[in-house]
Amino acid sequence: MDFTVFAQQIANGLVNGMAYVLIATGLTLVFGVLRIVNFAHGEFYMLGAYLTYFAGTLLGLDYITAAVLGAVVVAALGVVANKLIFWPLRRDHEFTILLSSLGLALLIANSGELLFGADPKYVESPFADEILDIGTVTLTQQRVLVFAAAVAVLVAVYLFIRYSRFGKMMRATAQNPDGAALTGINIGLVHSYTFALACGLAALSGALVGPTVMIFPTIGNWAVLKGFIVVIMGGLGSVTGALFAGLLLGVIESLGGGYISLGFMEAIGYAMIIAVLLWRPNGLFSTARGLR
Amino acid sequence: MLGRRDLIAAAATLALAIPFVGPSAGALAQQPPIRIALIGPMSGTGAFEGQLGLEGAQAAAAIINAKGGVAGRKLELLNYDDKGSPEDGVSAAKRAIEQDNVDFIIGGWFSAVALSMKEVTRDKIITVMTSSQHPKVTEEGHKYLFRLNATSAMMSNFYSKAICGQIKPKSIAFMNVNDDWGRLELDNYTKLLGECGIEIKGHEFYNRTDTDFTTALTKLKALNPDAIYVAAINTSQGATIYRQVRQTGFRGKVIASAGNMNPKLVELSGNSLESVYSASPFVEDNGQPSMKPWLAEYRKSYKNEPSFIAALGAQGVELIAAGVAGTGGDPRAYDKIAAYLKANETPTVLGNVRFSDQGQATQPIHLVQVKSKQIVAVRD
Amino acid sequence: MNAKHISLAGGVLLLGILPFLAGNAYLEHLLVLWMLYALLALSLNIIIGYLGELSFGHAAFVGVGAYTSAILSTQLGLPPLIGLPLAGLVAALFGLVIGYAALRVVGPQFAILTLGFGSILYTVTNHWVDVTRGPMGISNIPPLSLGPVTFTDARETYYLVLGLVLVVAFLCHALVNSRTGRAFIAVRENAPLAASLGVNVFHTKLLGFVVATAIAGVGGAIYAHYIKVITPDIMGVHNVAALIIVVVVGGRGTIVGPILGALVYIGLLESLRVAGPLRMVVFAALLTGTVVFLPGGLVSLWQRWRGNHKAENNATATTAPTTLPNAEGGAK
Repeated sequence: MDFTVFAQQIANGLVNGMAYVLIATGLTLVFGVLRIVNFAHGEFYMLGAYLTYFAGTLLGLDYITAAVLGAVVVAALGVVANKLIFWPLRRDHEFTILLSSLGLALLIANSGELLFGADPKYVESPFADEILDIGTVTLTQQRVLVFAAAVAVLVAVYLFIRYSRFGKMMRATAQNPDGAALTGINIGLVHSYTFALACGLAALSGALVGPTVMIFPTIGNWAVLKGFIVVIMGGLGSVTGALFAGLLLGVIESLGGGYISLGFMEAIGYAMIIAVLLWRPNGLFSTARGLR
Repeated sequence: MLGRRDLIAAAATLALAIPFVGPSAGALAQQPPIRIALIGPMSGTGAFEGQLGLEGAQAAAAIINAKGGVAGRKLELLNYDDKGSPEDGVSAAKRAIEQDNVDFIIGGWFSAVALSMKEVTRDKIITVMTSSQHPKVTEEGHKYLFRLNATSAMMSNFYSKAICGQIKPKSIAFMNVNDDWGRLELDNYTKLLGECGIEIKGHEFYNRTDTDFTTALTKLKALNPDAIYVAAINTSQGATIYRQVRQTGFRGKVIASAGNMNPKLVELSGNSLESVYSASPFVEDNGQPSMKPWLAEYRKSYKNEPSFIAALGAQGVELIAAGVAGTGGDPRAYDKIAAYLKANETPTVLGNVRFSDQGQATQPIHLVQVKSKQIVAVRD
Repeated sequence: MNAKHISLAGGVLLLGILPFLAGNAYLEHLLVLWMLYALLALSLNIIIGYLGELSFGHAAFVGVGAYTSAILSTQLGLPPLIGLPLAGLVAALFGLVIGYAALRVVGPQFAILTLGFGSILYTVTNHWVDVTRGPMGISNIPPLSLGPVTFTDARETYYLVLGLVLVVAFLCHALVNSRTGRAFIAVRENAPLAASLGVNVFHTKLLGFVVATAIAGVGGAIYAHYIKVITPDIMGVHNVAALIIVVVVGGRGTIVGPILGALVYIGLLESLRVAGPLRMVVFAALLTGTVVFLPGGLVSLWQRWRGNHKAENNATATTAPTTLPNAEGGAK
């Protein structure tokens, strides 16, 4: 086996996997804290990429500022979506919540096609075409940035959940919403914050991954599917699980595509999740209810 | 008692019911227009290409209508979405023929759609297939079917000579889309380029839904070929591949598949397409009389740059107009029109087009190259 | 003979003469699509409505059926009439294996697991070019024929599918009122309780799943022989969402619901063509609105109205409108 190619495929897989982790973290938070399966999560990823693009082209902002602005605006949109759809439905049947998120996803994707146009777009980043040679491995600066930014953001999210007041409120709500409400926690506020955090993370991953590919209004589909695979495999509600499952999926896809069959690359990912679920029906890192 | 929810529910039902009261068919005018159905991908992954084709056709129709139309009748374009899927293409063609009673159909942007749609239109209505390159579209065609784009075989015969004679790579690897066309491309070029002594190092097929190509390109780069040939129809996939070819550190030649070079692709690909070759029936300075007014009309009305796909839409409209005008003005005299188009050379934006008995067009093809982010013709 | 029977007979009669009212071949084509979606939705409804699980893999079984019959008739030259039951059988076999694995989990995990299985079937169909012709799909599929009758045009196909829809609707009705059907409902409402009463929850669910996938396979085969071309798109996420939308918008757990949902889905998408580029946006907005404000689907409107009506007649305001449709819903 050619070691250079092997190392390169591992590196490709780790970068792709980290992008999956970033997408999945928001998804798993929303489920862990609020018990909502949000099919519209991918659309917030799409909005993040597009807002970064428009902030760059229309407002003339540099890439980093545009990405941060995009994430903040999408976080606010997440709060709006929560107020309009998910909060009023919180006591309804899980099908109703799941399907209204599916409807929301269709609505955002189709509005996006109308507003942004069908032509593909490219998010300009100064790091996109700059090549870094790390030993025998070749990566662009943008791909290194995806990985590094994701690590930084995940550490920040972890510390936030662990030590901040809101983080504690989120964990209390995840364990027992009614109990949390009784102790005086404002559940409505927890809903808003969780959505802001999750949608902001989705948008940030869109802004980071954007310059490595082209963007078009239906990319949200791809993002939410990858996100779900990772979340289910890692265990619904588990951030640690999402981290391991995301990296695992990225590397296995890359090695599977590189050494077995490129055509079946996606199928390999799905086969992996099925194997995991048959072995541990609730995912790799699932224990009792709560946020980990 | 009716609760708030019930009221909202009732309102929602009302909203669901309203669209059922659609408008009836258009009123009869003194001189009814000639109705042309344009069936293309207006949503989904091919939406941008569909939009370009529509714009090109509309620009051509606007020019013809400004001159008073065809035999005193205006051209009316009706737009249908096939979503790039054969099933929706079949439904759209059925609707165009049976419900909207159109006179002509322009469509078939993707081979799979063209192959299934031709069975609905078989011997019923003149159908102009546009960009699909699959040989079976005309081989298994029907007496009213015409196809504008060159077949894969015609394109590869021309392009392989240019690759062997002018680009001259020592070895080559292929990065092709996994569909009929991508597989056909691989077969054609493996044979033709092998014949002129270029070593074939290998190939990878990617999926039409893939967004990241680093895994495949890492494999191809490891083969260390002199050139990588990229067969991509979809503009966004193409642009990502061209960028990622360079981002994986590949420094050899890149060769773009014939018929798929367009201004949007160049814009999206940044510097990675610089000095890359392709073959295209579309060059702006081809000296055709109808090219200049069409370019002007197109640039005036749309923000996209004129492209080959848009020119195919225009060609379809020009062809229909020429056929109707040349046979006395009855758009339903299909036998006469088909015979006329097969017997005569038709001047269009891309050149004078001749048709075989099967309805296959012969178009001039040019070798083009990207220079300073412009697609220019390479003249000997 | 009571009011219920009369309205039922009236409804069937209306469905029977519809093609003659349509007036043109395109509307007849839409009627066929309506019936096909109704058939597929009725089968998915067994899983969603009766078992209470959300399957995101149903389109894959439709595809398995479609491909089975298409390959048998185009490559082996088998008469499509034999292909039809075989399509159901093959789809059921896939359903048995996949259901056996997936039904061990419930809720979101089940939904995603079926999505995963569906995606694997899609990917394999897309890449096993030697058998399925991959993304190029299979074209020139011969029409169904039954002795001297060939189901070439829309009207003939309409009656065939209408017949199947009525049969499946009747079977669903019989099922709900049977011992097995009551076991389904018991499992849906409270699985641990049902288990403690001696219902084998897993086997009950598996039975429902397999029956549903078999019907989906037959529906897919008819679709293939009617449209004459199939591609892996038939198994795509788009179709998965479409089928779920039809069931839920119409009213899950009812018999009229999926049929009504299919009508609204086909009719709405068609009539929204006047909205031009706004078509899909309006569609998505109406869909979201319906799910949010009518969780029980369109049939729950009727139940609500009836509930209110009764309440007023009895002059008691205590009868709250039912938010969850009962097993038979609007058919009563």
